[in-house]
Amino acid sequence: MKTKNIYTRITLIIIFSLLTAQLIYSQKKMQKSPGGEHGELDFSINWKKYYTYEEWTGIMKDLQKKYPGLCDIGSIGKSMMGRDQLLLTITNKSTGKHSEKTAMWVDGAIHGNEVNGITCSLYLAWYLLTRYDYDPYVNELVDKYTFYILPGLNVDANNSYVEYPNTPNNPRETYRPEDNDGDGLYDEDLTEDVDGDGELSDMYREDPEGELRLSADGRRFVDAEDGFEGLRFTRIGSEGFDNDGDGRINEDDIGGPDPNRNFPYGWSLEAGNPYPMSESETRNVFEFQLDHPNILASFHYHNTGRLIMFQAPPPTRLSASQEQELREQTETRLEEMRKTNKYVQLFPRRVSDEYQHDMDVQTKIVSEGAYILKNYTPVIGGLSGQANAATYYMLGAYSYLIELWGSPVTMADTDNDGRLSDDEYMKWIDLDLAGDGWINPHKVSHPDLGEIWIGGSAKKHMQRTPPSRYIEMEAEKNARFVMYCASQFPKVKIDAIKVKAITGNIYQVDVRVENESEYPTSSDRSVQLKRYTPDVLQFKGSDNITLVETSGKDLNEGPRRRSSYFRRSDPGPETQLSAGEKTEFRLKGKEKRVIRYFIAMDGKKGEADFTLTSKKGGSDKESISIVIE
Amino acid sequence: MPRKSEKGIPVITGMIIALVLVTLTLNAQDVQISFDRYHGYTGTSEYLKKVNKAYPGITELMTTGKSTMGRPIYVLVISNMSTGTTIDRHIDLRNKRKENIQNVPPMKIHQGKPGHFISGSTHGNEYTGTEVCLYIIDKLVSGYGKDENITALIDSKAFYICPVINPDGVFNSVETGIAQRNNSMEKDDDEDGKINEDGPDDIDGDGFISSFRYKDDEGRYIIDDDDPRLMIRLGSDDKTDKQRYSVIREDIDNDKDGKRSEDSESGLDLNRNYPEGWWKDDGFSGGSGEYPLSAPETHAIAEFFSNYRNILMAQFYHTSGGFTYRPMGTAPHPSLNPGDVAVFDFIMGRKYLEIIGEEVPEAWLHPDKIEQYKKELAETDADSYSKSRGYKLPRGWRVSYNEEDDERYGYGMATDWLYAQYGIYSITTELWNPEADIPGLKIPDDENRRVAVERALLKYQDENYNGDLFVEWKKFSHPELGEGETGGWKSLYARNNAFPGEPLLNVCEKHWQFELFRAGLLPEIIIKDVKSQIIFSGNTNEGTVKRNDNEFRVEQGKGKGKYHLVEITAVIENTGALASNLAEGEQLPGNRQDVAWLVAERDNIEFIEGQPFVSLGSLGGTKKIPGVRNKPAKKEVKWIIAIKDNTPLKIVVSSLKGGTVVKEINIK
Repeated sequence: MKTKNIYTRITLIIIFSLLTAQLIYSQKKMQKSPGGEHGELDFSINWKKYYTYEEWTGIMKDLQKKYPGLCDIGSIGKSMMGRDQLLLTITNKSTGKHSEKTAMWVDGAIHGNEVNGITCSLYLAWYLLTRYDYDPYVNELVDKYTFYILPGLNVDANNSYVEYPNTPNNPRETYRPEDNDGDGLYDEDLTEDVDGDGELSDMYREDPEGELRLSADGRRFVDAEDGFEGLRFTRIGSEGFDNDGDGRINEDDIGGPDPNRNFPYGWSLEAGNPYPMSESETRNVFEFQLDHPNILASFHYHNTGRLIMFQAPPPTRLSASQEQELREQTETRLEEMRKTNKYVQLFPRRVSDEYQHDMDVQTKIVSEGAYILKNYTPVIGGLSGQANAATYYMLGAYSYLIELWGSPVTMADTDNDGRLSDDEYMKWIDLDLAGDGWINPHKVSHPDLGEIWIGGSAKKHMQRTPPSRYIEMEAEKNARFVMYCASQFPKVKIDAIKVKAITGNIYQVDVRVENESEYPTSSDRSVQLKRYTPDVLQFKGSDNITLVETSGKDLNEGPRRRSSYFRRSDPGPETQLSAGEKTEFRLKGKEKRVIRYFIAMDGKKGEADFTLTSKKGGSDKESISIVIE
Repeated sequence: MPRKSEKGIPVITGMIIALVLVTLTLNAQDVQISFDRYHGYTGTSEYLKKVNKAYPGITELMTTGKSTMGRPIYVLVISNMSTGTTIDRHIDLRNKRKENIQNVPPMKIHQGKPGHFISGSTHGNEYTGTEVCLYIIDKLVSGYGKDENITALIDSKAFYICPVINPDGVFNSVETGIAQRNNSMEKDDDEDGKINEDGPDDIDGDGFISSFRYKDDEGRYIIDDDDPRLMIRLGSDDKTDKQRYSVIREDIDNDKDGKRSEDSESGLDLNRNYPEGWWKDDGFSGGSGEYPLSAPETHAIAEFFSNYRNILMAQFYHTSGGFTYRPMGTAPHPSLNPGDVAVFDFIMGRKYLEIIGEEVPEAWLHPDKIEQYKKELAETDADSYSKSRGYKLPRGWRVSYNEEDDERYGYGMATDWLYAQYGIYSITTELWNPEADIPGLKIPDDENRRVAVERALLKYQDENYNGDLFVEWKKFSHPELGEGETGGWKSLYARNNAFPGEPLLNVCEKHWQFELFRAGLLPEIIIKDVKSQIIFSGNTNEGTVKRNDNEFRVEQGKGKGKYHLVEITAVIENTGALASNLAEGEQLPGNRQDVAWLVAERDNIEFIEGQPFVSLGSLGGTKKIPGVRNKPAKKEVKWIIAIKDNTPLKIVVSSLKGGTVVKEINIK
């Protein structure tokens, strides 16, 4: 039973009946120490490892087998080479169908070599499933919402990156053949592991006219100063053979279009060729999202840079001087706000009124994200055919591109100058990684080039994807950010009902509804796209109650709402007149709204039911009775 | 259906058939085809399979995708499958990654030949284009080995013919009688929980879906005085004393929701679903899709063009009107390279107008006087684009961009997309102009030309088709609309398709001639004047040179045998009329320059001067394009190599759209 504010002029007894239907789940096990052991021992995963396609999909299948009541696994389609893109659908099946609950979308590794996203997505799934029985926070999320998790998106390249020797940069793209060097052949000259050491490094040749020499410790190639008399080198390129005999090495590597330029929003021929949604891997994802409009927010994992790139509404066009003024205003305001909260964010983007709320919501969410992730920087994301741009601009879902991890500057910058010198970097490798990340230069016999040197570079998981010892660190906090956002999915309720006698047998009934969460029941963008369902308050009265027809208009009782950061005092909830038995509106994040009814009652006793339904925000129901003494 | 069978001899304009027996004889049985009826989807598929079976040496039947309802979209390749070559057959790849990724399929032999794409029925109810495609197939395959020109074309070029881009639309239009312009979509258009439950119906059960007319004071139609079978549509401001009627397609409210045909199988307009100038338009009938190439049919076409980059010419048949659109509709004149405009208008447009018998603009007949025409036009109130060109585009060869009002038309059309993004001479011909395609059609005088033509067509079908194309009006009581009459043109012969038989044959023959002309313009690259001159011969050893100030120490290794130092020169020439790419075509992503490789066993050759392959840009064509400075049609290539005795050597020239050729070199 909830207690409500009751105001009466004439003595009325108002009886409430609670009719909310809510399945109450009794937890099987309770965690002994918050944040401590939870269910990780129920299903162990070694997080100091990057997994191949067979391995990570095997883990997904095993997770689904162990938690069948919470988890489904399925393919959203096949990659170019015929691998299934396997998706986990996580929700408590007994509390409802996944497609009918508000959902979070998470995908990892659209770029083949950015496989950190696979471990982060997998970690989130594992966390949700293994903690379900132990952790009330996780328990509630999984009961109420759906998580669609696609750990590997560019599965062919993802597998190759983990399983075979590769440079940090490749394979990035999907496997559509492309003629990068214009010689008529497609993908004919790939990188290879020349010396068979399991790593791809750089190749150098001894060259009396070369600009490079070995460092004193023989581990790196450094610039040779003028007058240096010793052995000089010239860099040839990445490790590989001249496959097609054209005299060049690795000039036409595997893969074609950048999958994160392939989406239909802001698409260009130069970046996204051959055509929008040409890659089955990306097309499958977009088609899935089109078919699942219950997705309210989405995360897309990338490496590297420690960034939270979020989609913001379209900017209002300003002159150069206005832009400058806005930037300065923002900087000043931000400085002020940071005195009390070092993680708070503010962005120099002006948007039109109908998008102001999206801008506010995103600012709030990424500020919390900055707090949770500690050393990530939120920035506004770009368009250019990217997945997250299509998610927000075409589907109206809040989207975030996370650039995971980043250079070890924060850890290894001993002289605090904001840069990592070669010496600082080598020290990080030697002490932080116990020497385990470097390929020392060594001589090799190359069939096309003769005697060459290979080495002087970091191993594979060093520059873009983190060394394995840091996998869990990145995964754990990013999972918490996703869960925070899920916890902010809209939750609507009927907050309070007031009845006031007006005259004779007319009563004014004010029903205050509320969305308790940060996210609105529909984004501004989805309203503009007409891709949303309004929230509805349905009135049903007993036979002796007549509803007076009113317009449904806002009464504008409070001052006009401005950006939440600039609001000095709370003006109070908007009040709107009911629009008949069915009144529609859209609840913004943390919004309270009053729907005002005028009813006429014959006789001494009447009842009224109020049912609040929100497609993405849940539902609530309250009944009142009016009794004349 | 017309019972009169038409076996007239098609008129062949200006062509001399030379009966030359080619060594390659085919045991082909000619596949009979008649144009007395529309083939629809099923008939077309059967015909394509028959042709492929009868001509295995010069045809390949490909399925480029499937429609929404699962019907294969066929492309018939017509090219000599035992001639030609592709670059990947000549280059040996070594030391490949142990991973063994197999993402590059071997090239098909016809990818090494300049390609010409012809298609019909992007719109399901515009099936005249399908017939023209079948006619062209028939002419090509039955001309092979008999006609010198056709034989040479099929040997050296690749025709890709896709008679039906929209299988579901064509199937419904021709085979079920429900005319459907758009593709099919399984969509709940009226959001009532059921999919495709309410489409057109044969309400009077006569086997045809024609029209229903009923008296309606708000209606837009009146009955023609001259021919009371004809319903004349009034303009919104027109006034009349006559009884007004409303006319609808035969239809009832199948799901009793108060609306008719609100949720039919019809989906979206495929010619609004391509990526050039696309935007999401839900106002347009069926919309333009959730995103470009969202429809399976357009997706299949896009995938096809992405894989067959050898295509330089493309044609998308539509109806009606009897004219051709060349690019662009979504952008104005300055968005095209003047070199491309010159080829389109002066070369192709001129020939097209000659074929359809319309007047060719003066400026095209005397292109050397173009400056004078520009001056003359500047004095008039013509639009700025015509002024800058020196001519207005004529009715028969035009753009869909509205030059007079300076407004873009449409968006997401195939022609624009292939020109701008794939570098193809892509056009859309709107077939069927009864006045031109039915010679002797007697058109009565009337200020409303459209009505006059329809009267003439009605009479024509009375006389030549036994009146079978039109259903006489007869009383019918409509469950929702009350008393009225069913009748009108049978949907199959609704006025936007050529009548089967002689009119259709006229349309086919004209457009066959035009595509034949265009195919004749395709580039053709040859290697000639190959010279090899031995500079030095002798036994050689491996050697490494180490430097010590001015002393160079040579470390001799093992013997390698007899080697020659040779200078190779050759001329690469395009003997075709048009250049091997559009003016800026080679710069488009996915396209490339022409390249020439010098290929020999890798361990036996060393390049002293020159690289294993050299980029040649694009080779110009032989045809002088008025107002354009042609790129050179010839390029010289030169290498100096050290090659082991008795090692086979060859030059391979690979032009993406100009074909691939190889020439062995004998070193003497």
